[in-house]
Amino acid sequence: MDIPDCEDATSAPNSFKATTIQSGHTVLLRLPSGETKGFKVEKDGTVSIGRVGSFRANELIGHPYGLTYEIRGKELTVQPPHTLQEVEETDATNELINDGEFVQPLTLGEIEGLKKSGVHASDIIKAQIEQHANYSMKTEYSKEKYKQRKEAKYSKTFSTVEPTIYNVCDHWFKKDQNRIRDIRPDTLSQMLNLANVRPGGRYIVVDEASGLLVSAILERLGGEGRLISICDVDSPPAYPVMTLMNFRKDIVPNIHSSLNWATAQEDYTPVAAATLSEVGKSERHRIRLDKRKNAADTLSNAREELFAGEYDALLIASDYNPLEILQNLIIYVAGSGSIVVQSPFSQPLTELQSTLRLDPSYLAPSITESWLRRYQVLPGRTHPTMNTSGSGGFLLHAIKV
Amino acid sequence: MWSSARDVAAGDLVIIWQTRELIQPLLITPGKDLNSRFGYYRHADLVGIPYGSKVGSRNGKGFIHVLRPTPELWTMALPHRTQILYLADIAFITSWLDIKRGSSVIEAGTGSGSFSHSVARTIGSAGHLWSYEFHEARANKAREEFSLHGMADIVTLTHRNVCKDGFTVEDTVDAVFLDLPAPWDAIEHAKKALKKNSPTRICCFSPCMEQVLRTVSALNDSGFTDITMFETLLRPHEVHQISPQPLTQAVEKLKKLEQKR
Repeated sequence: MDIPDCEDATSAPNSFKATTIQSGHTVLLRLPSGETKGFKVEKDGTVSIGRVGSFRANELIGHPYGLTYEIRGKELTVQPPHTLQEVEETDATNELINDGEFVQPLTLGEIEGLKKSGVHASDIIKAQIEQHANYSMKTEYSKEKYKQRKEAKYSKTFSTVEPTIYNVCDHWFKKDQNRIRDIRPDTLSQMLNLANVRPGGRYIVVDEASGLLVSAILERLGGEGRLISICDVDSPPAYPVMTLMNFRKDIVPNIHSSLNWATAQEDYTPVAAATLSEVGKSERHRIRLDKRKNAADTLSNAREELFAGEYDALLIASDYNPLEILQNLIIYVAGSGSIVVQSPFSQPLTELQSTLRLDPSYLAPSITESWLRRYQVLPGRTHPTMNTSGSGGFLLHAIKV
Repeated sequence: MWSSARDVAAGDLVIIWQTRELIQPLLITPGKDLNSRFGYYRHADLVGIPYGSKVGSRNGKGFIHVLRPTPELWTMALPHRTQILYLADIAFITSWLDIKRGSSVIEAGTGSGSFSHSVARTIGSAGHLWSYEFHEARANKAREEFSLHGMADIVTLTHRNVCKDGFTVEDTVDAVFLDLPAPWDAIEHAKKALKKNSPTRICCFSPCMEQVLRTVSALNDSGFTDITMFETLLRPHEVHQISPQPLTQAVEKLKKLEQKR
């Protein structure tokens, strides 16, 4: 299969992100088990995916996202897209099928031997099926399931996953939902819409969800608009979620500024300003002073911008007292602007709502919880998935008036 | 789309919020009046006030809030010509289809324009929405609204039956959204409209499971992969403050009652 001739890596209108895999990207791969994992792709380096194998990183660079590959040696071959095959119903049932130790007789040693000798996964699976005591008795659906389970174990294929905010949020939600405060993709999407996030908009965010909100807003802004995030650490936090988004590093600083709770106070003068009168005594000293001056300018610009207010919305995902956060920041939100507060728990929001509904500055403070159920859709086998997330967090939304 | 100025101007479309159930659009036309449950207002009095203002009525019968339109408020205020999509579905679909600044999107059918407004807002002037509606009167009404709301550059509305006649673009869009009674008839057409050289997505919205099964079959036959299906709902939480009554109060009260008897 030919790799399609993709648009230039940084083509407009979405030049905020490269549309193909570049060196330095952290790429999400979907493994045969269905799990997604992030891997750094560096020019001339190697990517190791555990049991599935390893390959030269250069094989992926320049490719569009979303393709499926098979590892052969250290190289990759692109697999054609795989649609579902028709499965015919038979009269088979599991009435006479007994489980037991010797149902599948190939030993671990024999299987390892086959793997080592480079036998293709599909042949290993065929060998297992041939010797399987009960296989022919199974229903066709059961056979499909068996084959898929074995594929997940022996296959040397994987897919690249496009770093859309949906995919990245979904990946984090499955891997470590606590670190993103239980913000499930549906909840995140509602926050963005309720806050009217759009190109050219201006937003304030308090993001203690590992940078999920910052990433989502930057994604929707697409390089047009402004975002100020307020954090409780000295320098801007690492925001680990952003790594998977692969934003263009030269554009992000034009859109995103960071302040902390102290520098966000109007009556506080940051220490940085004091050292600006120094004169450089050597080249190295001058460079250091320039750096410090740049940092001080960036800081004072961000403060000026925040204090000028008229932001379109304020989004909060924080463990700090939401009422205090609002008291600090609400003046910077424009009239008719949106306030969206998220919590993994309902109690902080119900307390907040009880207070806000008595405050004439907040119109219709409302609490919602999102329900999301995924279904398996296969001919003759359509049903809700066995595992469904019980909670994607809670939201409080109000309009500033 | 709508005004981004701080204050309301003559000719603006605003959202008048009376109660959670009474939210309506208003085109500010000096000379006209608004008569509502919460009193009498002159449009002219609303000119020059900041968006978000609370305004008391001229006859002291109450007050209203004058808000800046957003697609979310529009969804709650718009005149329904058809059943519409609401926040939970709109937000989820937008996110799943990776609709963002600059996206090229197809929507069929336009219906009452609820989803259309949200997409136009999300893609901005760098993107484009091709929207199709087979009912002529509804197509005209939607086109009127898009024009009034400053969306005419972002949205191309076509009166057309896409199941029979396909779409008007090829190899062009990143995402297709189908809200049709028989989406399976439009899927091969959708494939032609989607870009050929990058990952693209399609989403079909159906109220009934029978439609879903048929749609999935058609998607599979057309070569779409990673087919998933979701149901999403928004659960509102009402907050009530209760102070549990001390049981001793009941004991005392009953004892007194008994003694009286």
